[in-house]
Amino acid sequence: MNEDYLWDKSGKPDPQVHELEEILGALRYQPRPLEIPKELVVVRRRFYVPILAIAATVALALLAAGLWLRVQSRKTPTSLVVETRPTVAPSGIGKHVPTPVVVKDELLDQRTKEVSVPINHRNYSSRNVFAANMRRVKSPRETGLKPGERQEALVAKEQLMMALRLASEKLNLAQRRTQLSSPPNLIRNQHKVG
Amino acid sequence: MKPLSMRKSRLPLVALLLIFAATLTAKAQGAKIQLSNLDHLAARASQTVDVNIDERLVQIAAKVLSSEDSDEAKIKKIVNGLKGIYVKSFEFENTGEFTQADVESVRTQLRGPAWSKLVNVTSKKDGSVEVYLMMVGDQISGLAVLSVEDKELTVVNIVGPVDLEKLSRLEGQFGVPELGIEAPKPKTKN
Repeated sequence: MNEDYLWDKSGKPDPQVHELEEILGALRYQPRPLEIPKELVVVRRRFYVPILAIAATVALALLAAGLWLRVQSRKTPTSLVVETRPTVAPSGIGKHVPTPVVVKDELLDQRTKEVSVPINHRNYSSRNVFAANMRRVKSPRETGLKPGERQEALVAKEQLMMALRLASEKLNLAQRRTQLSSPPNLIRNQHKVG
Repeated sequence: MKPLSMRKSRLPLVALLLIFAATLTAKAQGAKIQLSNLDHLAARASQTVDVNIDERLVQIAAKVLSSEDSDEAKIKKIVNGLKGIYVKSFEFENTGEFTQADVESVRTQLRGPAWSKLVNVTSKKDGSVEVYLMMVGDQISGLAVLSVEDKELTVVNIVGPVDLEKLSRLEGQFGVPELGIEAPKPKTKN
């Protein structure tokens, strides 16, 4: 038996092998395109199910975070501390009066250390402390200001109020002096003359 | 899309509007008076008030003013649209700490044609108070108050549209008692 034929089909084939080859040749690989049977239904796999699951998880996580934040914000005390700072009225008036109230927001303090609104324009003395109305300072969320800007805004607000008060005081002073310098009652004088 | 000729015809109008707006802005900025030449008085003064609030600070200060609080709401209305508030006030221990030249440095700026003197009250005893206004049309675009006393010099300069009536009503608010000098009581006849 020539074994080379079995390896590389060289040499003379063995008649028995040749016979087997012919019998099994019908089953030899025949290249032909794939034909899918018509009765076979192709079902696409649904990909949106895992996406929906992820979206639901994210939504739940957001909801939980929102609820937690809300509970936390309710727990945190929102009381305001009121400081009164006395000041000296401008000369000519001779009274000691309190300045506009400086309010510290504890919430803000926790976030941005202590907020101090300096009013360094006037002398203070301990005997001139008065009670004053409490004012609520807008929270950063309400004003839309960053903590640094908020501090600046509070200082500006104090200065603004002081400036406006001074302007108002001077305007009224001018008005009073004008009234004082005008003749007291012309009609009465005319009556006397008549 | 509008034809090119139509757009071209609107250009002069837009330019005029821009010029008008720029003029108004310049006028409003012109209401600011220079107070830096009074800075040297701070060293001699026993008490000094120095407030410099420009437009940006006015705007951010307005943000923290509450609309719910009646006093702050009033202030918010007053400061709405203001371009700046500048105050220099000096109180001295003794008389003669500031000179007439210091006062004139402010007064000369207020003698310009843009300013008109609204009130001028002079008294040998109490000093003088002068109120100046800058007008653009019918609207006030600036206010200046110059108060000179023996031991006190105060200059208030408000830039922008200011409501004098509302401003004068502010005294006695903010939880602060009224500061005004009481008018002398009429003498009763015996």
